[in-house]
Amino acid sequence: MSTSERIAFTLKVNGTDYPVDVEQGRNLLSVIRSEIGLTGTKEGCDDCECGACMVLLDGQPVNSCSYLAVQAQGRAITTVEGVIDGDEMHPLQRNILEEGGVQCGFCTPGMILSAHALLARNSSPSEEEVRIGLSGNLCRCTGYAKIVAAVQRTATELHA
Amino acid sequence: MSTATKKPAHKPKTAARFVRADGPDKVTGSGRYTADLSLTGALAAKFRYAEIAHARISKLDVSAARAMPGVFAVLTADDVPDVRYGSFVQDRTLFARDVVRFEGEIVAAVAAVDAATAQRAADAIVVEYAPLPIVNDAEAALAPDSPLVHEGWADYGAYEALVRDRNDASFSSIAKGDVEKGLAAADHIVRSRYVSDGCHAAPIEPRAVVAQWEGNKVTIWTSTQVPFDARAGVCETLQLPNNRVRIIVPHLGGGFGGKCGFHVEAHVAALARAAKRPVRLVFSRREEFLAPDKRREGIVYDFETGVKNDGTITARRVRLVIDNGAYTADAGFFSQLAAMHALGPYKIPNVLAEAHLAYTNHQPSGSVRAPTAPQTCWALESHTDEVAKQVGIDPVAFRKQNAVDTGAVGPSGQTYGEIGVQQCIDAATSAAGYGKTLADDEAIGVAIGWWPSFASPSGAYIKLDGDGSGQIITGAQECGTGAVMTLRQLAADEIGMRAEDFELVYQDTSAAPYDMGATGSQTLFNNGRAVIAAAGQIADQLRNLAANKLEAAAADIVLADGRAHVAGSPDRGVAIAALAGIAAGGELLIGHGSGAPPAAPSVAGSTCVGDIGVAAWQAPQFSCHAVRVKLDRDTGVARVLHVSTAHDSGTIINLVGAQGQVQGGVMMGIGQALTEGTNYDDQAHQRNAALLEYKLQTCADAPPIDIHFVEIETPNAGPYGAKGLAEAPNVATAAAIANALAKLVGAPVRQLPMTAERVWATLQETASKEQGK
Repeated sequence: MSTSERIAFTLKVNGTDYPVDVEQGRNLLSVIRSEIGLTGTKEGCDDCECGACMVLLDGQPVNSCSYLAVQAQGRAITTVEGVIDGDEMHPLQRNILEEGGVQCGFCTPGMILSAHALLARNSSPSEEEVRIGLSGNLCRCTGYAKIVAAVQRTATELHA
Repeated sequence: MSTATKKPAHKPKTAARFVRADGPDKVTGSGRYTADLSLTGALAAKFRYAEIAHARISKLDVSAARAMPGVFAVLTADDVPDVRYGSFVQDRTLFARDVVRFEGEIVAAVAAVDAATAQRAADAIVVEYAPLPIVNDAEAALAPDSPLVHEGWADYGAYEALVRDRNDASFSSIAKGDVEKGLAAADHIVRSRYVSDGCHAAPIEPRAVVAQWEGNKVTIWTSTQVPFDARAGVCETLQLPNNRVRIIVPHLGGGFGGKCGFHVEAHVAALARAAKRPVRLVFSRREEFLAPDKRREGIVYDFETGVKNDGTITARRVRLVIDNGAYTADAGFFSQLAAMHALGPYKIPNVLAEAHLAYTNHQPSGSVRAPTAPQTCWALESHTDEVAKQVGIDPVAFRKQNAVDTGAVGPSGQTYGEIGVQQCIDAATSAAGYGKTLADDEAIGVAIGWWPSFASPSGAYIKLDGDGSGQIITGAQECGTGAVMTLRQLAADEIGMRAEDFELVYQDTSAAPYDMGATGSQTLFNNGRAVIAAAGQIADQLRNLAANKLEAAAADIVLADGRAHVAGSPDRGVAIAALAGIAAGGELLIGHGSGAPPAAPSVAGSTCVGDIGVAAWQAPQFSCHAVRVKLDRDTGVARVLHVSTAHDSGTIINLVGAQGQVQGGVMMGIGQALTEGTNYDDQAHQRNAALLEYKLQTCADAPPIDIHFVEIETPNAGPYGAKGLAEAPNVATAAAIANALAKLVGAPVRQLPMTAERVWATLQETASKEQGK
């Protein structure tokens, strides 16, 4: 079967089912951005190196640039647009903003999802664990310090 | 940890806590960057690149590509005006004409129904080349018998101050005193050679451009740091007046200088005009590495410093050869800027620096965060430690003795007003615990750096609507630093309102007056002045309205906390929103500001050949970084354990943003020190044009960073005494790491980046020298 052959299936993104009809070879990133229309997920390298395209698949962080859209059928996909709860920012979003962990913002969506997954598997990570947990997400602006502080503050708040 | 030496009396009242206005957009994913835009009917653009470093085009046939279904436009040099452009040397054309000079040069452009079709069409373009000799080494390029990168160099138009000769696109020298005499008077002469590779800005957002024509006007959405420069480039190359080209920058995903200058906006606009459709270009990461006219320049340094036994520097002579790459882009002033950095912030009576900007068949060099500075600081400060060692003086004491101070005369003959370099040295070394006993595999290296502030014309408007809400319409560009976000604080303070009462309209050349852009750390320095001037006009209008309403003299009206009241009578007042309501029925509240850029400092006592205007430094910024490094001597792998920084960037207006600049600049410096370097093969192809081979620092690599601001009242500074800050923190880190490594290795590592292989090789050389003794 050629990768250009089309296939119709359903993707569940942020709790909503989206029917899509795309080439088999399409990566999840391009389907989320171009077919479903959620552009919060960014493309930085198309090479699994930068983490800007990170989404959660059943809660696990993956680089959506290197994941076929068809493989995500039947799984719960979370993008940055799904992290917010109604009009209320997720504590991670609020804290990364208040701590000054956002500059250009291009890595921010992937960073938030990476941190989200980290806190789901380890609710009180050490600074070292946060740093290792976020090491798949490149940021060129901030030097990471304020992002790490925001994740640690979030962990503390969620425990309180 | 963050501390400040001295709080100046006056700062914006609203500066205490800063949450950026564009933040909610960025953390929720609703913010749009250029590649997120889509327009009905938009086509995808792809370029055909030279892929060969130097060759004459013997055949270029686009007929097969043009005939492919789904292809709307294929353009080459024959399809656009024959314009040579360049802000320093007019050596560039939109598309290669006859000759290609680096692998990433654009030969043709395609617009097609989708990206895959556009790529197939670009691949179907037939190009045949007759190879020309490749200039792959900047020093060799200056040899009299070197092949020329530009056969027609002598006929190019150029900025009149440039001194050019064959492959030397810009020669610049700074001479003061008598260097021969100074060297003769020394007890020791220390000679060293250092070589730095080029490296990349590597913003996480690859660049993107969308262009759409409506009649004879074009709107271009682009990921540029300099919208007005981009507009100028489009207008020059496509021969359009400024008022028919509108540049809009959506959120910009970082730049670090790599998105300065004018680059591919005109190609996309030309495609859109030919295709009669909107056209969208999005770079791949590989293109982001290979194609931009912007990467940090490799430089070769030969230093000679004369020093007396008591540590007095008597003279310095230095020769620099800068790799210009194939086109000069905005690098024309690099020779003089690098010469200043090679002489450094030191009191030396006799100096001679000679810098050459050599054409090669490499990717063009251009402004990347503090261009020429980090690598030159690395070379100079490594050399400085060698000089200190020669006379047996501790390197920090040696710097304290020889660095400039308030009232000192610098290398170009500029006498400095109040500056904080000595305080920076004290603060950074003390925070680092310099002098304490460390493990055998750890050492602390120290370096000082400097960087100018750049005065430039800049403009802004402010309007206050009838409901009392304001808009700042500014030409300034936000690249992530938060400098534009900070403008709200300045306007609010001037008018007596809150920062959140103002929304920003920015990054749109048709809405706002000129600004130089997110370049030269100049936004607050220059646009801050414009915003304050515009806000001052609104404040005057409000005081007049309040004077009428309150039956008082305008001069007695105080604007504060959203109200206008009579001085000394806080109860005799009126809400600013109410005054805005009155104005909405009559003379509207509109302010406009620019303000005169502060005067350039005078330079006396030096002779500059090829003077491009960067020997006199406006409100210079100073820094000292002290870095603790751990070295695995078996492998050459170095790890940065701790960084202490101190910066004199004048008054800090936005502390959170300022800290972010230091943290980001230091991390970029660590990358430049240890891993980031462009590696060319013998055919002048980049070997590591991917993030897998070109390693950026990760969160796990980041050490703790102490931040200290030395807040000095500098003459001729920007608003509230602020200087620039975005570039300065990137200057001294690599140098400080080098000096720590030199202690651990026993000799300096003379190539940048100081990769594990190079460190290991230096360890082996040092060991065999020891054995040979």
